Amino acid sequence: MKKGWLVFLLLLSAHALAVPVEIKVNLRVGDRPLQWGQTYQTPQGQRYQIDLLKFYISEVALVRPDGREVRVDGLALAEFKRDGPTQGVSVMKLDVPAGQYRGLRFNVGVPRELNHLDAGTQQLPLGVNSGMYWAWNPGYIFYRLEGTALLPEGNQKWVIHMGTDTFRIPVRLHDLQTRRVQINIPPGGGVIVLNLDVARAFEPGPGGVFVDWRKQPLRQLHGLSPETSLLMSVVYFNMQTAFSLAQ
Amino acid sequence: MRRRPMVWVGLLLGVGLLGWYFWPRSAPPPPLHPSSPRILFAERSVPIPEDNPQTPAKVALGRKLFYDTRLSKDNTVACASCHKPEFAFSDGGKAVSTGIFGRKGTRNAPTLTNVGFRRHLFWEGRSPRLELQAVGPLTAHDEMGLEPEELAQRLQAIPEYAQAFREVFGEPPSLRAVTYAIAAFERTLVSYNSPFDRYQAGDDQALSPAALRGMELFFSEKGDCFHCHVGPDFTDDEPRNTALYTVYKDIGLARATGKDEDVGKFKTPTLRNVALTAPYMHDGSIRTLREVVQHYNRGGEPNLNADALIRPLGLTDQEVDDLVAFLEALTDTSFTTNPALLPPGGQGGAP
Ligand code: HEC
Ligand code: HEC
Repeated sequence: MKKGWLVFLLLLSAHALAVPVEIKVNLRVGDRPLQWGQTYQTPQGQRYQIDLLKFYISEVALVRPDGREVRVDGLALAEFKRDGPTQGVSVMKLDVPAGQYRGLRFNVGVPRELNHLDAGTQQLPLGVNSGMYWAWNPGYIFYRLEGTALLPEGNQKWVIHMGTDTFRIPVRLHDLQTRRVQINIPPGGGVIVLNLDVARAFEPGPGGVFVDWRKQPLRQLHGLSPETSLLMSVVYFNMQTAFSLAQ
Repeated sequence: MRRRPMVWVGLLLGVGLLGWYFWPRSAPPPPLHPSSPRILFAERSVPIPEDNPQTPAKVALGRKLFYDTRLSKDNTVACASCHKPEFAFSDGGKAVSTGIFGRKGTRNAPTLTNVGFRRHLFWEGRSPRLELQAVGPLTAHDEMGLEPEELAQRLQAIPEYAQAFREVFGEPPSLRAVTYAIAAFERTLVSYNSPFDRYQAGDDQALSPAALRGMELFFSEKGDCFHCHVGPDFTDDEPRNTALYTVYKDIGLARATGKDEDVGKFKTPTLRNVALTAPYMHDGSIRTLREVVQHYNRGGEPNLNADALIRPLGLTDQEVDDLVAFLEALTDTSFTTNPALLPPGGQGGAP
């Protein structure tokens, strides 16, 4: 009984000390801010534009200097649409105790226990109105990047729809060994700004394989199809290092 | 056959008792198809999900949406563009369908006959319910291609839809509400009036001698169709590999699972109204029913994933014809001409 009260009081005080924190995202192509309608080049020289980016963030945790984690419940859907803002876009609000942290981690994706519930009855940011539900393969698209390839034969739409429990992307932005990563959350609350380099997806993988839009099947990367799974894995590994802490 | 009158008497008594029992409290809802004959398989009713009760207003809204091309990006494509009533809600004669901006798909549009009974939807059978299945075509870039926000805004701008959604769902139009209404309509796409059904119900004249022989074959170990094409709708709803190819261009279930053993597996389709839904198979690669039966008779192509049931059957030409005659006896034209299922008059006409 006594222990129970202690835990309760501890929880209460932790809650009382929690301050609002906002996670904001800057979209980048390499180290430049993403601009809608601008033509970019992949490392292989294919020209493209970005048309849409939506992704889920979940299982966020801030890491204390002693390695303990402050886990945050909740799931957010980040949306970037043509002609909308791409810099400093608020994607998630959380409450964490003020103090020093050595970074954070999160997943790009929907937690397994939410990913397979009946999407007909789920509310935003889940549910079919999110535009992230995958009708032929139950579950959500975790990371949805779409654009246009400017090919010699004409413009072609391409999509990267990363999902299924296999492709939940772990992002680790903490460092306990060196003092490189420092996040200070002041008593009044704060902001954590992340850079997301969308072009990272196109870095070549083992043996130089890359998302070659000249090949029609590679313009639709999704699911676990053996035809495209190698490239899905390449994009998946690239995405794990596509986020960084700004400043 | 001889026991049937007793069954009817029992049933009538039962219905009478139930009616008496429930009368003061609630009258039963009007049947959605007053014209449906009372025959064997019609006794089972379409399962209705708890979160999407069937109401006449919802079904009417769903029907309207099903036939409305304004639900597509370029205003040219409705559900009914690929699921045409006269072809039992399949894409009459087309191997693959054409969506918005003339974009071609890669698969054959299946019939929606009795689709409310299907436990698994799509050719690989990975969608659990009609509401969620409909998200696919509505948003797919090669079918109707609308984002949820765009669809909601469009319908909200059409006063009669704005009003209908408020009346039916108590909320403005949204992708979710659209799929719920369309699913309600799809659950009325029931067909039980083929010669086969009439034979089942006791009409000895309903099937030709050839069709009768074909029926025997279909349900025998020799023809061996009934292990997969089982039950009232002739499907087990399970993904199977019928050795259509040695190398499948469309890998089927493996697209979703990534497993080699799932390459070439597609959901067993219903065979109701199959004579109206040519061409056949997931890619529409077989033109006629006779050729389909011949495919089975040959035992298909060499394929490591082939279902154990697929093997040379040794059917004679006559037996092949008989099977075809049986498949043709699964056609219900009262379904394809049922006025309650055809495009509603007025706004948003048929494509
Ligand atoms: C461009 C053509 C096209 C349009 C438009 C279209 N469909 Fe389909 N439909 C198909 C094809 C092709 C399939 C098979 C796809 C697959 O399995 O991958 C299909 C499959 C289905 C299935 C699954 C049936 C089963 O037994 O598995 C249902 C249900 C369905 N469609 C309903 C609809 C509804 C409702 C709409 C409108 C919201 C619609 N379709 C619009 C072509 C179309
Ligand atoms: C192993 C299970 C299995 C057996 C046995 C089987 N079928 Fe099929 N049937 C299927 C599957 C699965 C498909 C779809 C295959 C595809 O598209 O690749 C199909 C497709 C068909 C089609 C085409 C339907 C359409 O709408 O495209 C017809 C007709 C058919 N089968 C008739 C028969 C007959 C007649 C027999 C017996 C001689 C038979 N089947 C035996 C599983 C089976």
